[in-house]
This record gives sequence, structure tokens and C-alpha cells, in this order.
Amino acid sequence: MIEIIVIALAAAGWAFSLSGAVGILRMPDVYCRIQCSSKMITMGALPVLIALVVGEGPVSVFGSRALLVAVLLLVVNPVASHALARAAYKTGVPMWPGAVADQVADRARRRRAATGASPAPPELPGPARSAGGGQ
Amino acid sequence: MKAVYLAVAIAEAALMAPLLIRVAAGPTICDRVVALNAMSTQAAIAVLLFAAFAGRTIYCDVALWLSSFSYLGAIVWSRYLERELL
Repeated sequence: MIEIIVIALAAAGWAFSLSGAVGILRMPDVYCRIQCSSKMITMGALPVLIALVVGEGPVSVFGSRALLVAVLLLVVNPVASHALARAAYKTGVPMWPGAVADQVADRARRRRAATGASPAPPELPGPARSAGGGQ
Repeated sequence: MKAVYLAVAIAEAALMAPLLIRVAAGPTICDRVVALNAMSTQAAIAVLLFAAFAGRTIYCDVALWLSSFSYLGAIVWSRYLERELL
């Protein structure tokens, strides 16, 4: 019974890992690839580690290490994906031409348009804060 | 049960081949770092399952170090890229 559960969990995890690897190989864009990599680790690695925990028991040597690795990956992988996506955007890696939304560029453009149209609103908090400090 | 562990370890290690193609062919550095990050996670899982197959507890620490230091490597690469030191 336990063996069936282990095989099912490992097969599900391996299928997700395979789809993530194919996605990293086939996706057109570094941002899509980051998404595939993140799905690959969350949905592909965790079922395999849970399979090891189920097969060995959570307090055994291998089960406890698998649990530790699973928690580490779950905490650490979104941070790494976020940092990589941010670095890719800041270094100007081009998006896929079929991409439909770039909300960071829209926000920056809106802020630039607001400061270019009326320079007074950004300067408003400064004097107010200095006046409050003077009082 | 041991045979299952060995089969899953081999299958997870075999998934590193398409990622290696992406590491070789990635147009930018970010593509290569993403593929390397996924590869090191696969390596950690394969090492952990092989440790469970072979009954060697010392390989578990290899998996822990791989999974934690791949994260550190990705963070360091992204910091270097972001500050344009590369």
C-alpha cells in the first residue's frame, strides 16, 4: 500500500518535472522560463520528496532530510525566482514579441508623464514636511 | 522499495539533459542561470533518492548543501546582473 502511494507521488512529481524541463527548453522568453522553473521546483520536486517521506517515515534519517530539503526549497525558491526575474528586467532582457502586458513599464511611463505634465505635486510633500518639522 | 528509489533517482537525473541544452544554448545569462538553478534542484533530489537507495546517510548532506547553495548562487548572479557588474 505504501509502495503504491510512493510510486504515485513520484510519478506525479516526475511528470511535472518533465513538463517543466520541456517548458524551460521550449518557452520563448526568459520570464516564461522562470515561471516554468518555479513550477518545476514547487510541483515537481515536492511530491518526490513527500514520496520519500512517506516511504521512509518522517522521523527516519532519509525522511527527515527530505522534509528539510522540501521546506528549504519551498522557502527559498520563490526568492531566487523573484531575484532572477528582477535582474532580467533591469538588465533589459527583451520580452517575447507576443507579450501583451508590461505593467512595470506602464507604471514608469505613467509616473514620468505625471512629473512631466505638472512638476508641482511631487514637490508638495517636501515643503509640508519641512514646515511640520519647523513647528 | 529500494528499486523504486533508484528508478526515480535515475529518471530525475535524466531530466537534467534538456536543461543542459538550455544552459548551452541560452541567449542571455539569465536563461542559463534559470536552467542551472533547476538543474541543481534535480541533482539534489537525485542524490537524496540515491542515498535512500544505497543506505548511505552521508549523501543526505550533499543534497542539503546542493539545495541551499543553488539558491545562494542564483541570488549572487542576480545581484551581479542587477548592479551591472557583469
